[in-house]
Amino acid sequence: MKGILKRYPLSDILFALISFSASFTVLSLIVATAYVLYDESSLAIHRFGILNFIFSAEWDPVKEVFGAAASLYGTLVTTVLSLLFAIPVSIGIAIFLTEISPHILKTPIGIAIEMLAAIPSIIYGMWGLFTLAPIMANYIEPALQKTLGNIPVVGLLFQGTPQGIDLFTASIVLSIMITPFITSITRDALNLTPDIMKESAYALGATKWEVVKDIMIPYAKLGIYGGIVLALGRALGETMAVAFVLGNNHQISPSLFEAAATITVTLANEFTEADSDIYLSSLFYLALILFTLSFVILAIAKFFLLKVERGYTR
Amino acid sequence: MIYNPSYVRKRKIKSIIALLLSTLAAFLGLFWLGFIIFDVIRHGVEGLNLALFVEDPAPPGIPGGGLRNAFVGQLLIVFYATIVGVPIGLLAGIFIAEYARGTKFARVVSVLSDIMVSVPSIVVGTFIYAILVKPVGNVNFGGIVAVGFLSAIIAAFFGMFLSFLINRLFSVSSETTGKLIKAIVATITVLFGLTVFLILSPKLVDRIQGFNGWAGAISLAFIMIPVVLRTTEDMLSLVPWTLREAAFALGASYYNVIKDIAIRAAITGILTGVILSIARVAGETAPLLFTSFNNAYFTTNMNEPMSSLTVTIFNYAMGPYEDWHIKAWAAALVITLFILFITVVARVIISWRYKG
Repeated sequence: MKGILKRYPLSDILFALISFSASFTVLSLIVATAYVLYDESSLAIHRFGILNFIFSAEWDPVKEVFGAAASLYGTLVTTVLSLLFAIPVSIGIAIFLTEISPHILKTPIGIAIEMLAAIPSIIYGMWGLFTLAPIMANYIEPALQKTLGNIPVVGLLFQGTPQGIDLFTASIVLSIMITPFITSITRDALNLTPDIMKESAYALGATKWEVVKDIMIPYAKLGIYGGIVLALGRALGETMAVAFVLGNNHQISPSLFEAAATITVTLANEFTEADSDIYLSSLFYLALILFTLSFVILAIAKFFLLKVERGYTR
Repeated sequence: MIYNPSYVRKRKIKSIIALLLSTLAAFLGLFWLGFIIFDVIRHGVEGLNLALFVEDPAPPGIPGGGLRNAFVGQLLIVFYATIVGVPIGLLAGIFIAEYARGTKFARVVSVLSDIMVSVPSIVVGTFIYAILVKPVGNVNFGGIVAVGFLSAIIAAFFGMFLSFLINRLFSVSSETTGKLIKAIVATITVLFGLTVFLILSPKLVDRIQGFNGWAGAISLAFIMIPVVLRTTEDMLSLVPWTLREAAFALGASYYNVIKDIAIRAAITGILTGVILSIARVAGETAPLLFTSFNNAYFTTNMNEPMSSLTVTIFNYAMGPYEDWHIKAWAAALVITLFILFITVVARVIISWRYKG
């Protein structure tokens, strides 16, 4: 101790200590979140168990019986659908930004796409509720029902009266929200392709698309995976955009044109109304599940992206 | 086979179609952005007037009134969130980029805060609810932390001013007197900070009575910390190591190197990161839903439930009255323009400062 005091000036030691405690706060916040959520939900964990809670679709505040299946189903469907919509579009945008766009347009269009990520989610929600939902209910969903709704098995997805407040609309809003995340990471990954590889392919007579498809995308594979998994984590935890256009309806229905609930929507709508301990505890349980899910998924995304950093820079 | 003209043509057509689709995707992205912004402006302009900013809400169902309570509440919550979140994020970023550079600890903190950035914000809300809203009757530690940071920042500015004054008034010749003066200034600053804290905290912070503004501010700070931390770390690691070595060679301590070299060189980027993080939390709704909740009346008392723009937008948009919808759109317009403006300015600064 005395050696340290002699070797370093006091200001150095103080500043190091203060800044260390700040960075330690970050660590302890994560641990505290996990612990507090677990502690608050322990009542529900003991009452309903783990698997039983996850696979039970009953959500009845009056009888005080709770199960997460309906919320999990909604979360799963909206996330998967929104990824299906967003992945091709965002990779397309990334290809446009790296290979096609004239040089002057690259920065402005890139910034414009990133603007999509800056718009608050509540704006997406409002826009979805007041503008997109009526369009969906009046034009797009009836059209889908007329065409795809008559095919035997696929048709089940498009049953019911189109109201615009349903899984389908929510997925579209979500897909717009996550597009910029996939785009910016994919673009950065594509940009890392060494020019010499592209030039070699061109020299062999490859077309531009062949260079993109066979050289750049394989090279940027890990980065693209990372971007997709990151977007998955985002879609999973998005609240406000979905809360407006999903209706809060605890049911599992095969149709995409039905109102549903996700974990986040359930939390947003019912948290302040929970009047019994077990109700509140079940909501905390949902939050714990969401926290664990997104933590694991984001860790996977980070794993891919770190691999990209290491593999390409060293 | 390769020289077969029809095969070559087929590949060329395929390429053109694929590139066309990519271009269309880019236009689709721009279309959504344009559509959303256009829609917000179209609906929002209708309700935009002076009354929106200076009047309190009328009773439900009666047209007129404004959203003064929400604007003031939002400003207060974001202000205290910045007061708490920015210093922690900055200091933590400095620690892992400088003192702990290259260590395992730094990597763990960095990766964890990357994950924290994307942790669902509603989960943050539930966490803060459990510790700062649910224990009714307990001391509001969130408020104490916020006031503590506020007084520390005031004291820091006071100390800087004091030492600046002393440097101007006296010219110090010997090293011992210089050290003595420094010690005295430091003591006065610390005492000043403590006094400010002791005066402010009983006045501002009360026991938890349920939903309160402090909880909202702390949950926004939670979201801010990792954002500030990561940008600070990135910007500091962009400063060349040789610059620091040059200062070390002159006998500077690491604290002086950080203060006078590293931060000076990275200050534009760091400030931009801070601004971006404010823009990020200004649009957050989910963490405020069950921390600061909502309040139909004007209040500046952070111990009470406090209305914020975003939560007000949520309630008004979901509400039954046409007048509420118009107000919600107007508030949405204000907040969108604010955030987009800040983001564009920050992006422009970054691309101007860090070209290529």
